[in-house]
Amino acid sequence: MVASEQRQQPKQNQEEASIINRYVGTLVGESTSREFRLAVAHEEIREQDIIGVDAELRQPGNQSSTEKIRIWAKVQRIERLNPLFPSEAGHELAATRTNPFDTVLSLSREMVTAVCQVLGVEPLDGSGGGKLDQLRYPPQPASSAYRPDSSDIARVVVGELQERKNRALDVAWLANRREVDVNVDGHAIVSRHLAILAMTGAGKSWASRRVIEELAAKNYPIVIFDPHGDYTGLADLPELNGRVDRYYARLPIFEQSPETVITIIESLGWKLANTHISKFDDLFKSAFRFISGQDSGKSRRNLEWLSEYLGHSQLLEYRAEPNLYFFADFVQAVVKAARERAERQSEEAKRQRSARGKSKSVENQDGDDHLDQQEDALDKIIELSGYEDLQSIDKKTAGNLEGLPNNLRVAAKRIRQMEDISKRISKATSPLPNERSKLVQYGKISIVALSGYTSDFQATIYSLIASDIFSDRVQNNLKLPVLLVLEEAHNFIPGRANTNAEQNSIATTKQIAQEGRKFGVGLLLISQRPSRLDETTLAMCNSFVIMRMVNPADQNFVRKVIESLGEDEAKLLPDLDKGEAILSGQLINFPVLVKMKPPKSQGEREEKDAFVALEEAYRDNISTSDSRK
Amino acid sequence: MSQNNGQNRRFTEEGVREEIQRQPHIFTKLAENALTVAESLRDNYFKNTAKFVANLRQAVNQYETGKRPEPILEVKSVGDIEWSEVQGEVVTFIDGGLGQVQISSQIPILLRVGSYCVKTGERNISEREQFGYYPVILGDIEGGSKERKDFPDIVRITAELLGGLSALERTPNLGLLMFHGPLVYLMNAYAGHTPFTEKDIDLFLSHYAQDGDLAQRVKDEFLEEAKIEIYPKIAPERADEWTDRKLFEPLSWISFLYRRLVKEAQKRDPVPIIVGVVERGQLREFSEKILLERVFKGLRKNNKENYFNEIYGRTDLKSPKALLDRLAYTDGLLLSMLLSPGQCSEPWHINKYGGLGKGKITLPGESFVSDADWGCLRPSSPISFPKVLGCYVNVSETTEPVRVEVFSELGSKQLEEAARRTYLYARLLPGYGFPVGLDIVDKYAHIPNWMTDAYSKIIRYQLGVSLQRGEINDAEMRRILVQAIYMTKRDWLFRPQA
Repeated sequence: MVASEQRQQPKQNQEEASIINRYVGTLVGESTSREFRLAVAHEEIREQDIIGVDAELRQPGNQSSTEKIRIWAKVQRIERLNPLFPSEAGHELAATRTNPFDTVLSLSREMVTAVCQVLGVEPLDGSGGGKLDQLRYPPQPASSAYRPDSSDIARVVVGELQERKNRALDVAWLANRREVDVNVDGHAIVSRHLAILAMTGAGKSWASRRVIEELAAKNYPIVIFDPHGDYTGLADLPELNGRVDRYYARLPIFEQSPETVITIIESLGWKLANTHISKFDDLFKSAFRFISGQDSGKSRRNLEWLSEYLGHSQLLEYRAEPNLYFFADFVQAVVKAARERAERQSEEAKRQRSARGKSKSVENQDGDDHLDQQEDALDKIIELSGYEDLQSIDKKTAGNLEGLPNNLRVAAKRIRQMEDISKRISKATSPLPNERSKLVQYGKISIVALSGYTSDFQATIYSLIASDIFSDRVQNNLKLPVLLVLEEAHNFIPGRANTNAEQNSIATTKQIAQEGRKFGVGLLLISQRPSRLDETTLAMCNSFVIMRMVNPADQNFVRKVIESLGEDEAKLLPDLDKGEAILSGQLINFPVLVKMKPPKSQGEREEKDAFVALEEAYRDNISTSDSRK
Repeated sequence: MSQNNGQNRRFTEEGVREEIQRQPHIFTKLAENALTVAESLRDNYFKNTAKFVANLRQAVNQYETGKRPEPILEVKSVGDIEWSEVQGEVVTFIDGGLGQVQISSQIPILLRVGSYCVKTGERNISEREQFGYYPVILGDIEGGSKERKDFPDIVRITAELLGGLSALERTPNLGLLMFHGPLVYLMNAYAGHTPFTEKDIDLFLSHYAQDGDLAQRVKDEFLEEAKIEIYPKIAPERADEWTDRKLFEPLSWISFLYRRLVKEAQKRDPVPIIVGVVERGQLREFSEKILLERVFKGLRKNNKENYFNEIYGRTDLKSPKALLDRLAYTDGLLLSMLLSPGQCSEPWHINKYGGLGKGKITLPGESFVSDADWGCLRPSSPISFPKVLGCYVNVSETTEPVRVEVFSELGSKQLEEAARRTYLYARLLPGYGFPVGLDIVDKYAHIPNWMTDAYSKIIRYQLGVSLQRGEINDAEMRRILVQAIYMTKRDWLFRPQA
């Protein structure tokens, strides 16, 4: 026993010496179980540093039993004051442009105080497994605080995650201690949603790509809605070879509900008149039946008839697809056919009136025969589409519908333009699969390129796909869980919806945010304008990566919505460096300031020096001209 | 032209009144005076003061422009000094602070003397500045008359003086030593305190002397001088007894320290400036002995003896003293209306030792008083206090002039240089009008409340324990002590009787 004590003595001395070497300050003033102040030496400490204070606590009611604990705390802010330097003297120095060193002013007596937030407490021997308990009794004033070992910091930052390594995502370093890796809880991200918030250029795409790469390494299915081509570089990673599918967003218009199509048309063209809307359902369904069906030969024949009837020889050549152009032609044909029928009926009525006063002539009988022989085009359309309800379109209705084809063509043209841009930017060759569940595959990332589309159309496409995927999961048609990544989230889920497309998009996202966890649909929202995001949806995110943010409205919004973000941490936001982030929420044991690790992939829009790019373009231009000569 | 008009307006009653209204510190002081002076003087107090000041300004100006053969007040400019002129100068500021304790007697129990030494222009912080502090718990002192209100002052004066002496001795290149407050206090007020014991002096010297030998040497030198020269003159009947008991009579000890300070300074080349700077002083000696003396002399010469009586509607304003007594003017008040910022008044020998003479003293352990005569400590004897030369410096329009005091034995240039630096240092605090280095050391020497609170708790605890143990048997004494401990709050012990 004595020998064992003797052996322990040098070890204890070593530990004490080590603590002295790592000493950062002494507790002063009033301490509570949530906060204390630390008198520190100059430049010994930085804001957001993690520090330790050892303490002994007696068990209540048991005087002899003491527990040795380590209190973990984070430096929230550092106050530096020279109480012997009057501000009045500072003004005089400024007014007379005098260097304070040339005067008798005192410059040496500064008081540096660190205000520290208690993070939690664990047994001193580290047997708590990184799990921090709530401190229930304040640390003793005059205690020494020290800089803990990197391994100890890593242990508490990771917390219980070290026992569940399959969930850990290696995304960052501790900002003030680069030797400490910061792993976050991937489970919290995919199940309880993550928001990455930062101003432009602060590194949010960098951070999100790192998170996505780490999740992809764990084969988690991911669908990325990419408005700017930030994620196209993922496909170039060797480890993701063959695991990234890129789609351009061609929307199969006849697979949407008539209401959705109305929304799309109104967002791209003009608002539809009430008469258009009242007949839209019949027209849309009959057009769909007209062009679709098991027999492709029948569809072809229908289109040939339509082409001949409208006298558009090019219709077969350019518009033989179930798109808005075809729909416009179909509506035009219905209008024409309805008018013709009305005229014919009018002629018939006239003739019958005159026949009542005259005997029938041979010529007239011939004429009657001619009319009877002329085919009723509306009947033909009904026959080809198999949709009887079109019989209700009379002359007046046809007149009201006259403007609809033009509106449809305007929308069709806009969609065609956007599709072309989307294809070009995304370098994608495949259109979106009609069956949305195909986007969700084990170990695969599906990138839905939304570049080139207006924000409304992007929102529409997103809400349709997200809603389908979510429904498939709810109905158990889709077996795999999925993470939906929404870049520029403020365009999809704005705080106030101004259009139908935004309304739909917000509703879909809110539903996923609220119920996604039950059905294995997670959200990763990325935004550079957090204050424009829907507050409820953002509040549903349980994990946050918050990076540099200068806009006061954004800072206030973030502070208001994110409960886990402290006041002092929020004040840091405008001063963060590129790539620095505050991790907060369920993905981490406690909020920490980190430096995000770089992603392996490149973004499509990685910034190139504008002047270097100019010179390169100029040289290319010259060499092209020379080769022509 | 307009500048001339402005200058001329300074010399008119209206101009002075306008200035007074612009300067709240003067206005407030005059308002206070107006309420305290006799009712007959109260009417037109502002107007008459302005008229008097305007006349004084005219007389000062007439002398400066050669229109008057004899001066009323000689004024010098000290505002032309720049920081570049004093680069590399080592300056030490000294100040003492007292800590009051909230027990019913209100006796200060803690004293701390702080020093701040700085070398201007030095960029290396560790070489540029040094702070020192010397704490004294008054309860540890055996000597001094603790029943007198000025007991803490006599301890503080001694401690500050030792702090200054220590700074001078440990800083060979000291250029200036500046005390917060008078360089020498009016010593007559402190005569008669019970002498300090050797233990008290050891306690003082333990903080100030660099080594034990020096402390012993200082003690021995004093006791030798006391034995041979001082005590036989102060207490011829009991000089031997004072010497045998190694008593340190406070005034003798302080005068010894002053002489040592002066001698130490005289050894240096260049001689360091030793200065005391006084803010908000109530002194009126300069006005009485110099300024108004000349005014009255001039009036008598010109047969205008009734000048003041006519202005103020009185018959008894016939001498400087009478005028100051009735109108409550002080040096600070009058000179703040006569000096412009950056100007100082002419020097005068301040009478610090008037009244030093015969008195009574009680030795430690004695309950009776015996005779003593401090007349020998007046200047012009080898064992006397040093002579003090002073002047007033006006720093800014918003503050009263500060009084600057130097030892006249250290050379004729001391006062002017001290005044220039006082102005330079005070310019950094124009709203306070006081040298910034003294403000720094004042804050440094200030005893924080938590410290005095902690000491008062210890005292209360010890008294409480003594009471509980029955160590204080006398019933009346117990009641007084209980009261002393608890009376600062409305305690249940003292709740009203039903």
